[in-house]
Amino acid sequence: MEEWIQLLEEAREIRRRGADWHFINSLPPKLRLALTYFVEVGDIYVASRIAGMKVGEFDELRRKAKVPMV
Amino acid sequence: MTEAIADTSFLIDWARYSRRDLLWRLFDVVHLPESVLAEIYSEGTLAWIVDGLASRRMALFTETEDVVDLARRIVSLSRALPARGVDLPEAVCLAAGLKFGYVVLTENGGAVMAPSFLNELSPVKVMRALDVLHALAQAGHIGLREEVARYQVETGHRFAKRDLRRLGLE
Repeated sequence: MEEWIQLLEEAREIRRRGADWHFINSLPPKLRLALTYFVEVGDIYVASRIAGMKVGEFDELRRKAKVPMV
Repeated sequence: MTEAIADTSFLIDWARYSRRDLLWRLFDVVHLPESVLAEIYSEGTLAWIVDGLASRRMALFTETEDVVDLARRIVSLSRALPARGVDLPEAVCLAAGLKFGYVVLTENGGAVMAPSFLNELSPVKVMRALDVLHALAQAGHIGLREEVARYQVETGHRFAKRDLRRLGLE
């Protein structure tokens, strides 16, 4: 279990480091919070729902924000 | 016949990979839940899916009541997972994996760890893109190091060092 938790933590760090926070912080609250959720949790489905988008549409936003899928 | 079922988290990056059709070297058919298809937005991804459906490499998976019931139970069980659970779309794939023996293709962390922690799901095989590339390399179709590098460049996906070390790539 410890190994899984460390893997999830490493993935979170990669997303945090890759993210363009200047871009993310310039977005309207709903999109900013959805991207922040994705960075922290890595769950694209829930993040897309927070943003009010389809997963594929949210994925385009994620790429603009330079948040990698890990 | 080896069959898989894919969720959106797997498809959105895999579809951007120039050698994406290597998937057919491992699987005769990849099923796509209707709910996954409804989430696809990019024209490139959709075009690849349409081609896959037309060539019968892909098949539409219609979520029936029994699969959705099982998926809801998996969502509930997944609350016991460390760090994160599973949402309904991934749970549908896990339910289909359990019910029909499909390999589940996903990048969702909860879905990846579920078979290790939930006894009921222990027969389900889950693969991420890195696992698919590793299986292709083991079957002699690709060189793992080059394809892992290519995949990351072309899709923007980042593999965890911990996973790369496990495969002797770090």
